[in-house]
Amino acid sequence: MNMQQVVFPKSSANGFGRQRGDREVGARLENKMQLGKSNQGRIQTTGALAAGKTVGNESFSRDRLVYLTTCLIGHPVEVHVKSGSIYTGIFHATDAENDFGIILKMARLIKDGTLCGYKSTTEFVSKAPSKILIIPDKELVQIIAKDVAVTRDGFASDPQNEKYQEILIDSAISQSRHVEVERELEPWVPDEDDLQCPELENIFDGPWNRNWDQFETNQKLFGVKSTFNEELYTTKLERGPQTRELEKEAMRIAREIEGEDTQDLHLAEERGVDLHDDFDIDEEMRYSSVYRVRGVDDSGYEEDEDILLDSHNIETFGDSYDSLSRSADGVRMPSSSSLVDDAPSSQAAISEDLNCSRPNDQARQLASELPSKSFSVSASESRIRDKLLGEHGGSSDGNEFPEKQSVSEKPSSSGKLSEGPASSKATDEMHSASSHGPPDSSTSSNSDCVGTVSASGGFGLSPSSSMGSLSSEKSTLNPHAKEFKLNPNAKSFTPSQTPVRPLSPVSDGSFYYQTQMSPLPHMHMPVSFGIGPSFPGHQPVIFNPQVAPIQSPQAYFHPNGPQYGQQMVLGQRQVVYCQPEMQYKGRDY
Amino acid sequence: MEGEEFAVGCFLSIKTTLGDEFEGQIISFDRLSNILVLQEGLESGPRRNIRLLKANHIKEFSLLRQDEDPLDVKKCFLDLTSLQAREDSAIRQAEADSERFGVGVTSEAQTLFDALSKTLPVRWDKTVIVVMNEVRVSSPYLPESVSGGTPAANERVRKVLEFERKRMQTRGTSQ
Repeated sequence: MNMQQVVFPKSSANGFGRQRGDREVGARLENKMQLGKSNQGRIQTTGALAAGKTVGNESFSRDRLVYLTTCLIGHPVEVHVKSGSIYTGIFHATDAENDFGIILKMARLIKDGTLCGYKSTTEFVSKAPSKILIIPDKELVQIIAKDVAVTRDGFASDPQNEKYQEILIDSAISQSRHVEVERELEPWVPDEDDLQCPELENIFDGPWNRNWDQFETNQKLFGVKSTFNEELYTTKLERGPQTRELEKEAMRIAREIEGEDTQDLHLAEERGVDLHDDFDIDEEMRYSSVYRVRGVDDSGYEEDEDILLDSHNIETFGDSYDSLSRSADGVRMPSSSSLVDDAPSSQAAISEDLNCSRPNDQARQLASELPSKSFSVSASESRIRDKLLGEHGGSSDGNEFPEKQSVSEKPSSSGKLSEGPASSKATDEMHSASSHGPPDSSTSSNSDCVGTVSASGGFGLSPSSSMGSLSSEKSTLNPHAKEFKLNPNAKSFTPSQTPVRPLSPVSDGSFYYQTQMSPLPHMHMPVSFGIGPSFPGHQPVIFNPQVAPIQSPQAYFHPNGPQYGQQMVLGQRQVVYCQPEMQYKGRDY
Repeated sequence: MEGEEFAVGCFLSIKTTLGDEFEGQIISFDRLSNILVLQEGLESGPRRNIRLLKANHIKEFSLLRQDEDPLDVKKCFLDLTSLQAREDSAIRQAEADSERFGVGVTSEAQTLFDALSKTLPVRWDKTVIVVMNEVRVSSPYLPESVSGGTPAANERVRKVLEFERKRMQTRGTSQ
């Protein structure tokens, strides 16, 4: 903190010499000379130009003026100008040397003096703030500032207040125009003089020879007697005549393991293998905890959990998928294998690594994999993604539905895909639907390759959803996909939800009357349309009240659950209502 | 503007040429620049309302009473770094705020924007309010002016807009 006391000569006489003799005036002058110089130095750093021209008695008042205007720096002020306009902005500087014109930053015009009278508030149009506004002295009428910290107490509390209010959220920093969009990240290097922990380097080198016994230290410092017994936590070492040999053997095994070739970047780094020059792997690849198959886009958060979910799905669905996978595998093998060739070596290596490290990963234990499996997976992923880009509501899905049903035990969920979902649940599935794609490839890939990423199994969809969020340019066909077998007994497809549509305009005075509805197969709830307020009679679409109510206020919700679903199936005409027979104004579904 | 009246510590009642009227206590009067520095309010606490007035714009004034110097020079300190920091943070804040204020829009539009921004992510695109980056509300900011976005989002914005307009009406013209 650069605190300097502004030494003002004793006050009251405002240069009028009423209470002071000349002698004192002289002394003050001298005083002010020095003051002036120091003032100059100080104030220049803040931006106000020059200062402290000490001319006679007025210097005293000038000093005060300068002091007060300095207090205003950074403070929001209101400036009235001759024309009657009022500007508000952040006080930046004043030309203390000359005639005290002022400079505001981020200034806005809040009242335009050139207009006669006041405009009504509804018409007042805001103006863009100007970054710097210079108001010359002759325009200046007055400057008003509220809550200015003038004396020391004000300042003392100020920094704390300022800092407290200055909680910069990341988005404020990142979006501020002052800051570049991308910061050049530099690796951290310890300071030159950072010798605080010199032992850190050594401390893990020889775990048995640390020259420092933590228990001893603890006891010394705090008088705590330790009951630590290492053998409680690890295998008891037999220290006998064979110790030497056992040790040698252990070292050998350790060396073997550590020297193992690994394609896993993290393991490699730990073992000191430096392959970073070879590949264009950035820090993200090196240190991110996101598991990814080489060549696949980052699809973020799902991946880790998806691996686990994959495993669950395989447990549940694994068997049923096998045949489907296998045959599809056979068909698609050529395509994916060709891709394997094209892929950069690192990718192949990494897929290999999947195989190697599989035993370590619980999710991977369940699968019986072929080396190309990861590729088949990524292949299917890209296809799925393409599908997403196209239109997952498209007809191509229609073909696969029966397939899907035989495979998946959740026909309703798959059905939603084609419906262009608008409900929240459906939007969830949209998200996973990005992974939906062709069921055969996806299911099979799921059963096979656990190592791959992103299942949205959490949504209760078939495991096929796992693949979708990854993108790759590989073929999407899964050579291991289960062979398709038509299941003629599968439940026929019915959508469980319809998209919510706004009601079309209806005429007034349309009424529903209580009707005797013939019991129709799919309707298992009483269809009783009460005589309520007028609602669109000819439109049988009753919206599920659980769905976000998005229709116009004229809609009448009949709280009987999702009746519209059935009505969708039934078709509009089947809703019978008594007179008046309305002209059909609605839409055909 | 005679010197006697402008002694430090005097309480004046002033009327400016622009029609402002106020009372204040003189902290300083600088002849050279003709600026009168006043503080309004009686407290001599650390924070005060300061007014700098060009003396040539004083239409009339009257001396209310004479009092002590309101500025205790022993307590006057300047911390330049904190001033600079304050200015920087104020500018940052103003920049952030400027995103919130539309340019060339009526205050009614601004009010609607502020209301929408309480629950929805909104931003200005010239004079169009953009909600959730997809729904656009253009002048005259009626429910009919809402366009774009998914039907759900569109409806939601419409509803909020209607609601807000109703509130504005009931509150009357006292915006």
